[in-house]
Amino acid sequence: MTDAHVPRTAAVNSVVGPIPADQLGVVAVHESLLSVVPGAEYAFDIDLDRVTIFDTLAAKLREFKAAGGGTIVDTTGMFHGRDLRLLESLARVTGVNIVASTGMGPEENLGGYFLTPQTNPPTPWPAEKFADLFTQEITEGMVIPRLERRNPAGLIVVEADRAGITPTEVSLVQGAARASVGTGVALSIRWGADAVGDVTYAVNEGLSADRIVVGGCDRVDAVNAGVAAELAGQGCYVAIDHVGSTGPAYIDDAARVALVVDLIAQGFANRILLSSNAIGVAAGLEAVEVPFGFVVGTFASMLRDAGVSETDVRQILADNPRDVLTVRSEKKA
Amino acid sequence: MARVNTVLGPVPAETLGIVAFHEHIGYGMPGSELDSKWWKTPEQKYEETVPKLRRFHELGGGTFVDATGICNGRDVDYYKSLSAKTGVHIVACTGFVGGDTALTHFAKASVEYLADQFIHEITVGIGRSGAQAGIIKVGVSRGGRMTELDKRIYRAAARAAKLTGVPVMTHLAIDAEPAVEIFHDEGLPLDRVVFGHVDDGVNADKTNDVWIAEQGGRIGFDTFGYETELPDPPFWARPRQERLDHFLRFIGGPGRLEMVLASADANCSPLGWPGVKGHTVNYIFDDLIPDLRKAGVDEATITTIFVDNPANFLTLHV
Ligand SMILES: [Zn+2]
Repeated sequence: MTDAHVPRTAAVNSVVGPIPADQLGVVAVHESLLSVVPGAEYAFDIDLDRVTIFDTLAAKLREFKAAGGGTIVDTTGMFHGRDLRLLESLARVTGVNIVASTGMGPEENLGGYFLTPQTNPPTPWPAEKFADLFTQEITEGMVIPRLERRNPAGLIVVEADRAGITPTEVSLVQGAARASVGTGVALSIRWGADAVGDVTYAVNEGLSADRIVVGGCDRVDAVNAGVAAELAGQGCYVAIDHVGSTGPAYIDDAARVALVVDLIAQGFANRILLSSNAIGVAAGLEAVEVPFGFVVGTFASMLRDAGVSETDVRQILADNPRDVLTVRSEKKA
Repeated sequence: MARVNTVLGPVPAETLGIVAFHEHIGYGMPGSELDSKWWKTPEQKYEETVPKLRRFHELGGGTFVDATGICNGRDVDYYKSLSAKTGVHIVACTGFVGGDTALTHFAKASVEYLADQFIHEITVGIGRSGAQAGIIKVGVSRGGRMTELDKRIYRAAARAAKLTGVPVMTHLAIDAEPAVEIFHDEGLPLDRVVFGHVDDGVNADKTNDVWIAEQGGRIGFDTFGYETELPDPPFWARPRQERLDHFLRFIGGPGRLEMVLASADANCSPLGWPGVKGHTVNYIFDDLIPDLRKAGVDEATITTIFVDNPANFLTLHV
């Protein structure tokens, strides 16, 4: 007997273990619960008070749930404050499904272990080593550094430098793509200066476009370059994921509504993701104070007012992220 | 009063005894903690570490200065337990091994912020441990030239050293001119700085130790034991006799003996690399001091190198 042909129950890797994909509900796919800039945990002027952090996040998650949210994806990766025991407790206490991520980036946030290893010369890590590191976070479980492994990661996240992807970040994307191919867990790319180019590094590793989420599709430069439609056309999921934020680098919510309407008109309703990149608790950087429930509440109403059908709203907020987060069987049918 | 900050509180400099001035309980590059291939159980870490420190103590070792930077696996609560249970004074450092081991939060910080971080760790304590740092670590990033970030860290260290009275130790003494200039600029006397790793196999040829000493800097011969004769030597290894000759030649110079410090830079239990089998802090007793005696170095000189010089250096100058 081999299990190659036995259909497996579609499951999503949450911090408390696999959960059936049909139980996710509305998903906030690109958010941060506790976000700590690497090194900030050692800063003399930053007090990571665990009780305050827990209470703050629990309140925000309850608010999310009350607004209609079911699942939140923490996209801080493995080296930006991920605290698995905190996330596990929050999931249990609030009833919100929490999916945690593996991955890293951009290069400036990588530790010296990956950039200047104790070898002569100090060659940065190649793709294969990143692939192994991220794969282990899925096949063996996510790490609590130097202590233990917990449940498998539910998403792989990488990020490139805004000034343009660096050679090490190319290795990072390639390695993450290989880990995604091997494990069936989807890959999220926060692109640098060239969305299509950065995504191509992943596609060239044999990763199917429908396993790739492209973040930052509401960046002004993305909109000017028509990134969302082009990548949706290739089959990627395009994340309009700064909903509720304004600023010189991003379009505003009215323009986001117009972008969604336009993408739906082009037949891409099944490729759109919405999220806020909110930060629940931030250390070493500014919190993004948009409520986790802003998309399912306020922004969804804006979409309806703009004539987006209930079916499409449901597709975008629940079905698309469910398809992204569902772990693909390694053996293709 | 001559005070030295140890992880269990300040102690009189006169009680330090023989000092291993550049060592590591455990060192790993930042991020190595994410790679489970290096993980060790607490049982294993204590098992690898405690016997080495006890033996150090039994052989006459008094003080172990841990040169592990803020982001390199420095674990002060662990050091406190080791010190209490073995009787070895442990001095912890603040600072960074080099700019390339400072994580983003610090890599983007200003000189003022970095100085505040160091001063806090020296005067208030490290994290929630209550232990005050006794020395500031700085260093040159891989590549052989001081980077802009390295320089920012050196300048912050100079300010913190001047204000708090703790000394500064450097990882590598290559490209020393900008370092000396920064210390001058900030008004830190150079005898408050030990320029380390002048003796390692990769950098010895490129390090102008005599020039640094002429400027007034202290000189650290602190990779004793990383020898090409080892079964599996690291890339910075050097022939044993060549290093010893270098050291003897150096201390033979005028006024040099008072400016020299010696150590083994060994890991008790490495954190993010395999380490070098068989190399421990006790190389100082098992090999180095016997080698010095064999070469005709007298006991008074040995005491100067391992007791008096480090005591003078580590004493808070306030
Ligand atoms: Zn060292």
